[in-house]
Amino acid sequence: MRPGTERSRGYLHGLNPLVTVVAPLPAMIAVIVSRDLATPVAFLLLGLGLILTGAHPSTRTTALLVLVLPAAIAIGTVGFGVWTDPARVDRSVVLLDAGAYRLYEGSLLAGLAASLRLAALLVLALLAGLSATGPDFVRSTVQYLRLPYRIAYTALAAYRFVPRFRRDLELIRQAHRVRGPGVRRGPGSAISRVTASVVPLLAGAIRHAERVALAMDARAFGAHSTRTERHLVPLRGRDAVFVTLSWAVTAAIVVMLPAH
Amino acid sequence: MSEENPATTRPAIEVDALRIRHHGRETWTPDGVSFSVRAGEVMLVLGPSGSGKSTLTLALDGLVPHVVAADVEGSVRVGGLDTASHSVARMSEHVAIVFQDPDAQIVTGSVLDEVCFAPENQLLPIDVVLARAEAALRRVGLWERRDEDPAVLSGGGRQRLAIAAALAAGGEVIVLDEPTANLDAAGAEDVYDSLREVVADGSRSVVLVEHDLDAAVTLVDRVVVLDRRGALVLDGPVDVVLREHAVELERLGVWLPTATTAAVRLSRAGVPFERLPLTPAELAVALDAVAELPAPLAPVVVPTPADAAVTTDTTAVSVRGLTVFRGRGRGRVPVLRDVDLSIRSGAFTAVVGVNGAGKTTLLQAIAGVVRPPRGTVSLAGLDPAAARAAALSRHVGFVFQNPEHQFMTHTVRDELAYGPRATGREPAQIDAQVDELLDRFGLAEAADVNPFLLSGGQKRRLSVGTALIGGAGVLVLDEPTFGQDRERADELVDLLATLQATGTTVIVATHDLQLVAETATSVVVLADGRVIAHAPPDAVFEDDDLLVRAGLRRPALSRAMRLLERHPDWRGITALSRLPGPPR
Repeated sequence: MRPGTERSRGYLHGLNPLVTVVAPLPAMIAVIVSRDLATPVAFLLLGLGLILTGAHPSTRTTALLVLVLPAAIAIGTVGFGVWTDPARVDRSVVLLDAGAYRLYEGSLLAGLAASLRLAALLVLALLAGLSATGPDFVRSTVQYLRLPYRIAYTALAAYRFVPRFRRDLELIRQAHRVRGPGVRRGPGSAISRVTASVVPLLAGAIRHAERVALAMDARAFGAHSTRTERHLVPLRGRDAVFVTLSWAVTAAIVVMLPAH
Repeated sequence: MSEENPATTRPAIEVDALRIRHHGRETWTPDGVSFSVRAGEVMLVLGPSGSGKSTLTLALDGLVPHVVAADVEGSVRVGGLDTASHSVARMSEHVAIVFQDPDAQIVTGSVLDEVCFAPENQLLPIDVVLARAEAALRRVGLWERRDEDPAVLSGGGRQRLAIAAALAAGGEVIVLDEPTANLDAAGAEDVYDSLREVVADGSRSVVLVEHDLDAAVTLVDRVVVLDRRGALVLDGPVDVVLREHAVELERLGVWLPTATTAAVRLSRAGVPFERLPLTPAELAVALDAVAELPAPLAPVVVPTPADAAVTTDTTAVSVRGLTVFRGRGRGRVPVLRDVDLSIRSGAFTAVVGVNGAGKTTLLQAIAGVVRPPRGTVSLAGLDPAAARAAALSRHVGFVFQNPEHQFMTHTVRDELAYGPRATGREPAQIDAQVDELLDRFGLAEAADVNPFLLSGGQKRRLSVGTALIGGAGVLVLDEPTFGQDRERADELVDLLATLQATGTTVIVATHDLQLVAETATSVVVLADGRVIAHAPPDAVFEDDDLLVRAGLRRPALSRAMRLLERHPDWRGITALSRLPGPPR
């Protein structure tokens, strides 16, 4: 979110960006190793609750989280369920019997668990994604993780290339469409098309990067081992409280939920 | 007492016998250049392309040789420091540079962060950083917008931001390398207004490389001129260099202010000039001082009759009720609104309008690059909405702004043969056609070269060749002269004029209105997605109200002519080609 587009700030915005990355890590690990349904559901709901109350997401993001995410979980359930190896699931209840193919209730449950795990991971990752800005995250890594600023700020500048490259790629695709399909057909043609668009994209990217690097050097970038930081991203008591609470709740959920 | 403070008498920049050779090159450009710039002076560097102007700017900043590897002989001192023995970071406290491409020099996400970038890198205390940032942003009029993302500023706004960032670095010298080449006329004016503010108090010296002198000339104190080999040929006050050596400069391939170019021509036709003019106003005064002028020449380009006279059999492109939206949902906005347009076969049509007026969208719809709604565009009967690529390429060719984007193969020959081969024609026939085009576009010697390794001009010619080899009678080009030097732009315009003379219908989107005045037979003026005029250039430039509505600025020659009081028959002239007197 840019400073210009003022939206009300929730309590997650008041945290150090590193905290919103570190706090959900144990929960993410718990979700990854879980095989039951309750663990991902618990963390999914917890994460959603935190985002909706603490990050004040836009209407669009809220709609995606509340409406589209459940739908995606449902689709994922069927998709993963059909893919699951029937030999590894509970085959006591047959839901669908189409000749050689049988869909078991156990398959669907396995599919549900898989898509819930993915959804929970996504929501936990969004805790940081929806509350921290890129520049603040970079400042924190320089400040607290001792990441050299030359690397961090270069990465940030490179991140600003992305929209430009997307535009370039779109232009290249248009330009190639105008040239027509050419003689070759089939996969060979597809591959040569991809390589043909990579070359101009890279040529443009390298030229652009060189120019940006010159402009940064000319403005004393990298002159000293540190640089003045106008707004320090603070690490405060509430950050410690948030991490401790998050980890405690994670531990409680993992311990209290009956292991399957 | 002769106790002068050395800091006030020392020049801001001293360049002594400077020669630079980039690694892997044979020639030294610049070659043996010496000059100095006094504190508070604005110096313009002129020279034909390839004379080493950009290299010179990099050397003033120490980027050559510290960052861009090159052999350097002679010396450059800025603020008394030798750039060769001081780091670029150290030099940044004395000299800042503004480059051509605004996108390639903005590295942060807010206007304020951008201006703070250099002082932060210099490890200055926070209050100094902020004080400098505020002073710099106020100078260029961006302080109120300090919290915005630079991406939302206009091109001119972003270059002003780059100037502010240069100011905040704290140096007494600012070097600008073609700062307006990527901008339209309004953006260029915006940049020079800011620059005028910057130099007003005389605290900073400026070195400027610029080929569009109409906006820059009133700002400049001194001019140095390099020749094609990179040697210094002239160094003096702007009045002496531009007014007294104009013919010499023209011969060198250096571009003069439009008013000066016009006066040089007129003096060859016997019009007396006490001294050559540099601005439209000076030209008008000089011409009004002459009792009688020779009659202006007839227009070189014959204007195409407007819409009404177009009959279907001579229509190359017909657009009816074309509306195009961009975005989806609530963000959906019309880019083109209900456009009706007929373009005559054989016309040279310029599409003009401010950024965002819909020029590119209109061109892309006509050429089927982005498929228009069915039934809205007709290319002599073919609907690009429904046509296959091969059929489309027989009717219309599209040239993108960056020719590299269009290249698909590994040699120039394959590049030209790419389209025809897909049609399944006889290989011998294709070879013959490719050979013919190679000759016509001066690419025969480069036939086996990888397209990416061609020179800029060759790349452009190749992209025009590939657009035409399918037999297209309509050639569409999107801002083909954008960001290019004058020489290359002229080369392309000559090529397009030749194509038009042999029957090709040419449609060009451009913001270079002098180019429009010289070459177009008709002009389509777009404003906010609507066609607000489609008329011959003279009629468009005559209509003040129309230009204001379209947000366009009258080109320099037309500005001068409209100031004339004694010569009413000259007031409508917009093209240099109508002035009596040989061009060279």
